[in-house]
Amino acid sequence: MKDHRTPDPEATTPDTRWWHGKAMRRFRRNPLAITGVALLVFYFGVALLGPSITAPIIAERERGHTCARDLDLPRDAEEAIAALRNPLGLPFWKATLAPPQSCLRIPRVSFSPIPQPPREGHPMGIASGGYDIYYGLVWGARMAFYVGVLVSAISFGIGIIVGGAAGFLGGWVDDLLMRFTDVIFAFPNLILAAIFVTIFGPSLTNSLLALAIVSWTNYARLFRGDILRVRNLDFVDAARGLGASRWRTFVRHVLPNSIGSLVIVASLDIGAVVLVASTLAFLGLGAEIGTTDWGQMVSFARGFIQGAPGEPFKYWYISFWPGLAIVMFVLAWNLLGDAYRDVFDPRDA
Amino acid sequence: MFIFIVRRLIALPVVLFAVSLLIVGLLQLLSPTQRATAFITSEQQAQNIPAIIEAYGLDRPFPVQYWNWLTQALQGNLGYTRSANMTVARAIRVLFPASLELALLAVVPIIGIGIWLGTVSALRRNSIVDQVTRVMAILGWSLPTFVFGIWILAALYGGFGLFGIGRVSSAYITEIAQGEITLYTRMMTVDAILNGRLDMLWNAVVHLVLPVTTLAVVITAQIMRVMRGSLLDTLSQDYVRTARAKGLANRVVHLKHARRNALIPVITLSGLTIAQLLNGTVVVETIFNIRGLGMWFATAAVQVDIPAVIGFGLVVAVIIVFANLFVDVLYAFVDPRIRYD
Repeated sequence: MKDHRTPDPEATTPDTRWWHGKAMRRFRRNPLAITGVALLVFYFGVALLGPSITAPIIAERERGHTCARDLDLPRDAEEAIAALRNPLGLPFWKATLAPPQSCLRIPRVSFSPIPQPPREGHPMGIASGGYDIYYGLVWGARMAFYVGVLVSAISFGIGIIVGGAAGFLGGWVDDLLMRFTDVIFAFPNLILAAIFVTIFGPSLTNSLLALAIVSWTNYARLFRGDILRVRNLDFVDAARGLGASRWRTFVRHVLPNSIGSLVIVASLDIGAVVLVASTLAFLGLGAEIGTTDWGQMVSFARGFIQGAPGEPFKYWYISFWPGLAIVMFVLAWNLLGDAYRDVFDPRDA
Repeated sequence: MFIFIVRRLIALPVVLFAVSLLIVGLLQLLSPTQRATAFITSEQQAQNIPAIIEAYGLDRPFPVQYWNWLTQALQGNLGYTRSANMTVARAIRVLFPASLELALLAVVPIIGIGIWLGTVSALRRNSIVDQVTRVMAILGWSLPTFVFGIWILAALYGGFGLFGIGRVSSAYITEIAQGEITLYTRMMTVDAILNGRLDMLWNAVVHLVLPVTTLAVVITAQIMRVMRGSLLDTLSQDYVRTARAKGLANRVVHLKHARRNALIPVITLSGLTIAQLLNGTVVVETIFNIRGLGMWFATAAVQVDIPAVIGFGLVVAVIIVFANLFVDVLYAFVDPRIRYD
């Protein structure tokens, strides 16, 4: 039914909803940005629906793969698959929202050191040690988001504290903290993270911690810069004139003005974080062997670079799929970051 | 300028002091036994760890421990590395040339191709060349070094038997072991020339193709992007319009007026580029089995070889300090407005 009233006068005022703004319009017209968003939606979907997608493999209960047991799935394979794919039941939600650690281990189809080509039930082949590549790839998406979000969040926190302390306190504290930031910033991040992992002892938690310790410098610098900039704006002067304390101006005026853009910077860094994390895993400094981690899965190919006589590309699938997964994931974030810079760059209107 | 350089060189020990304080400080997280390995200089000593803990006071307060480490380090004793089976000082000396050779050769395409493609892309904005270059740049930028390395290794070496892994073929390694080829610099290409062995030079170059490409590709893509963006900025400046209005040839305007100024952000980036080169050598040497500092570090990190990791960290700190000094000097050359007096 249509409404024939005269147009509301307010309808002619500019639409201020954010997705109709000028910046968003430019964003929506950028094909690369759309590609990036589409890729990320795809990855997020795979990460979220991982349990349903890989339900048949989980239900097989390979030796040592306790994911099905930890989810309290029915013994019968058919019933277990149905339970994992039934959004009305508890196992579906448990597996989707809070899967046990054991689901982030790759099931071992066999213990054979020889990789096996794609076949029924294992569409991407089996790596040396009997690790199913398809399962690792799907659950690796979840791992990538875990790693990216966690490390970005921790390093963001460190950056805000260090940058905030430097900008708020000023003086020699500022000098000391910023020189320290410069040193960490100039040091190659992968090498520094590897040094930390060596000293802490190689494990997934330690490699994430090490990554967070080396990736906060940019946020500290940006936040300190923002504080110095906002501090001299008129409205902060006004607040000070009205008798607001330094702490109050900082919390009520400076912080809300700069935190938003910093959150965006930090979230766009997720791709870069995952890239370094996967490199650490590739070098053997990440999660223990058999974890659903793309970087580690690429390293499975290292003993199988040369194919068999007459079949030079025999083992192509070991490095191809996990490698592709990493490249497209990082690409998606880079496309998004690029589009963000383009859209908000005033010079390029 | 001279005073500026001297002042920066004086600051070098301060940076090294800070880095070593940080690393040795972190070692406090380990047990005294694990820390003791940093003071071992031979295999015999490895048999007697408690004596070393006693001798160096590894169960005593941190300042004492740091002082002990520092006095040893200043005498050139950085400990013994299990993963390379020699002293750390010797490992650094022996393994450094291979990494230097790799990095120096990678710098050539990074600067050459990166700046050239960036310029072409900016001058012909939105042309086919520009579009292709931009897509290649963002793809190259998203390629993790280790994925690209494994892929081209599997495709070209594994698939088609092209190029090679290691530094030279085993025949030359035998000759080196027998003393028929003398290693003067330990950079295979240079040593081949010094020995007058063109066949070995060719062999070494063939072995370097894949690692150098892998090391260069990601960084080249970045330089290209920055160069393009910065040249586009410069071309829209008033003085470029003035130069055009004076009737100067396009070529002169582009190369003399615009490009020189457009290089400044690229130079700013080069500090970061050097850090990435160092990251890259660790990955590339591991993949292509090149016995250099990077591969040593990667192996040492996995084997928790503490002295090796500290030693490598200090080498990297020295490189970074010198690299940043070099970048600052380069600034003054490109941009006459910059003075360090």
